[in-house]
Amino acid sequence: MDWSALSLSLKLATWTVLILLPLGIWVGHALAANRFRGKAWVEALLALPLVLPPTVLGYYLLVAMGGASPLGQLYEAAFGRPLVFSFEGLLLASVIFNIPFAIQPMQRGFEAIAPEVRDAAACCGLTRWRTLWRIELPLAWPGILSAVVLTFAHTLGEFGVVLMVGGSIPGETKTVAIAIYDRVQAFDTGGAGIMSAALLLISLIAIGAAYFTASRAPARRHD
Amino acid sequence: MGYHKLLIILVFLLTVPNGMAAPVERPAVAAASDLQFALAAVATRFEADTQQSVRLSFGSSGNYFRQIGQGAPFQLFLSADENFVLQLHQAGKTEDRGVLYATGRIVLFAPHGSSLQVDDQLAGLRNALAHGQIRRFAIANPEHAPYGRAAEQALRKLGLWDALQRKLVLGENVSQAAQFAASGSTQGGIFAYSLALSPAVAKQGRHVLMPENLHQPLRQRMALVKGAGATAHAFYVYLQQPAARAIFEKFGFVVPSGARQ
Amino acid sequence: MTEGIRIRLQQSGPIPLDATLECAPGEVLALVGPSGSGKTTILRAIAGLLRVANGAIHCNGDAWFDAEHSLHVAARRRRVGYVFQNYALFPHLSAMHNVMEAMLELPVAERERRARDVLARVRLAGLEHRVPAMLSGGQQQRVAVARALAREPQVLLLDEPFSAVDRATRQKLYRELAELRRELAMPVILVTHDLDEALMLSDRMCVLHQGRTLQSGEPLQVMTRPETVEVAQLVGLRNVFRAGVVAHDAERGVTFIEWRRHRLEARLQPEFEIGAQVTWTIPQGHIVLHRRDRPSRGEHENPVFGKVVECLSLGENIVLSVAINGSERPPLFLTVPAHTARRNGIAQDVDIGVSLLSEGIHLMPVDNARIRSKPVQGGKQSQGAGKMGR
Repeated sequence: MDWSALSLSLKLATWTVLILLPLGIWVGHALAANRFRGKAWVEALLALPLVLPPTVLGYYLLVAMGGASPLGQLYEAAFGRPLVFSFEGLLLASVIFNIPFAIQPMQRGFEAIAPEVRDAAACCGLTRWRTLWRIELPLAWPGILSAVVLTFAHTLGEFGVVLMVGGSIPGETKTVAIAIYDRVQAFDTGGAGIMSAALLLISLIAIGAAYFTASRAPARRHD
Repeated sequence: MGYHKLLIILVFLLTVPNGMAAPVERPAVAAASDLQFALAAVATRFEADTQQSVRLSFGSSGNYFRQIGQGAPFQLFLSADENFVLQLHQAGKTEDRGVLYATGRIVLFAPHGSSLQVDDQLAGLRNALAHGQIRRFAIANPEHAPYGRAAEQALRKLGLWDALQRKLVLGENVSQAAQFAASGSTQGGIFAYSLALSPAVAKQGRHVLMPENLHQPLRQRMALVKGAGATAHAFYVYLQQPAARAIFEKFGFVVPSGARQ
Repeated sequence: MTEGIRIRLQQSGPIPLDATLECAPGEVLALVGPSGSGKTTILRAIAGLLRVANGAIHCNGDAWFDAEHSLHVAARRRRVGYVFQNYALFPHLSAMHNVMEAMLELPVAERERRARDVLARVRLAGLEHRVPAMLSGGQQQRVAVARALAREPQVLLLDEPFSAVDRATRQKLYRELAELRRELAMPVILVTHDLDEALMLSDRMCVLHQGRTLQSGEPLQVMTRPETVEVAQLVGLRNVFRAGVVAHDAERGVTFIEWRRHRLEARLQPEFEIGAQVTWTIPQGHIVLHRRDRPSRGEHENPVFGKVVECLSLGENIVLSVAINGSERPPLFLTVPAHTARRNGIAQDVDIGVSLLSEGIHLMPVDNARIRSKPVQGGKQSQGAGKMGR
């Protein structure tokens, strides 16, 4: 069991969730509450990582973050080391790749709130912030929780993008998914087996929790 | 309100520098896959002898060549093809031209259960091909793995390349090629001698060393990347010393005598 | 007036509107019209949930909306009490907390006290801690009302508040609203498609169709004295016919009209010229059956005779369609109690006589769009103005 890889994976997943939580709430809420021209295109764009092969995304991220790119050079000038092959580069890739997993369930959660409830909140004198905080978030929490869990589990298992952008550097970018790949190549089936089982267990718990909370949600819906 | 607090905590957490073990203490070493077992053994001894340790990554030399060229934070590169190291030096990425640390050899391998007969002229392979007994054959990807290139050269020289080409399974590096060959999902393969000698692989089939004249020599060169720290330097030196050389030889590498450039 | 609420809304799309309304403090204005007539749109515009292209809304002297000056006060800053059609209660909060949400600018203790108070006023004392899912429809509606009132709003808006409850509960709620409104000092606008409800609960009524306010006034007035055929249809008058004006008798307060070879006495309406074509209507309640068992003097007033074409039983009452003069269409509609019909042997194909009480006959201008369809000679074949009202 490669503990450093496991802890790196957990760290990556946690950070991805922390970043996507406010982002997902903001965008998910905006999409649920507004109609505008081109909304379908925006939603399609945000869903793109779902259908994009990881290697394609990895390729474009390398181009965008690599040493020759403006972003990469900016980062290197600021921090003294390249953005690719670093944990930060990996985190950036992970956030981008998980956008649909975070935004879509949250958006559905907000959409499940009857629009009249928001109107009622406005008539009660609540500001938009207060409406979000006191009314919408408590009602949309199953969607938000689902998004958090899915993002977490998905990040744990992410392989292709991590490999292309991260480079499998132990302690920096060698996540547990990559470590498993590595162990198999080293003919260490025992090590690979243990880590795979651990990842399977964590993913199962995560998705089970998501489904469980989603099934308890309907009691809160107001028809 | 509550949001502002959350935002502040978040910003704070994000700007705290990555507190992982500072790479300087445990430098990242990029090594060709054929060194999978040999280098691991050396590193263990290094740790026992000097109380310093390194973080090993194994993969295809071509891949590491590209990554180091793009600034990947490896401090030492052990390539299976010396050209990669020389090119990196020309690009100004390494401290110097490095040293030749070993010469590699290839083997023909047949997993248990395969009808392929192994011999050093590959007559068995030729025979099996003629009888249509070879469905899949594993080598490393010749485009970026030196051992794959060597395998291709050998096969071409023996006139077996055309017949085999459509049946090839390409490993991303020589380790994966060994995986494919040993797993029984292919009828055989060509990969590194050093891998075939390891107990884990050896017990999965039978192999024969292929003559050196069938391919360009696999001159394995290593070099320190610019900016490498003290531990990386120490390891670099250690690799050229008798203890390390003995391990390399045990794994079938031909070790250059004395310090040769 | 500077007190009360004044509303003027105009736009051509996406929902066409051309509405003018006024409601004084303490007055209940019923906004009546069929589905899709824009009632909810107007209510939302008053609340500030919707921005209309043109118009203005002033409440107690404050300008809430003025298209000319690009002024649109956000909903949360207008003190509006809005009872939504489906109540729109916050499902995760108890009744008490629902009401407290409307008073966030007050300290917690004060909020609690006032929430309790207003919930008691709507007769929900003891149920404060229940969440909406644990309350019946009628109770939820009361929480919605309490929440709307908690803010001490400048106007109270009710969007078909009784449509989602059963009849028995509705009767109860009518009574309660009637009592409650005596205490309310603000203008109240009630949207409904139920005319009876409007009659029962409101001081004034406004008829709306396709976004246009057609007529405002006291409910009974609007329902018996519609200004146009369109309004007549919308308020449910089924008897709408063409006739010609023959003469005016100012001394007796009567206008004579000619209809289907009958000369009828109607209420004096001198604004119509002699010889002009008009449409006239009469509420079903102003048609008296000539009873064989108990003839009365009223039978001498505008008697007409015909054959019963259809008998529709509605529980305690029967709706009769009568072909006047035996065969003319469209028929005259009237309602009689079932026992009367029985005692008088009323059934299909029976000949009956009825009296049209003159004070119920109300004249309206002819619906011009239909005048081309059939030539009309001197008040003979009058045709009903197309579709009958409900």
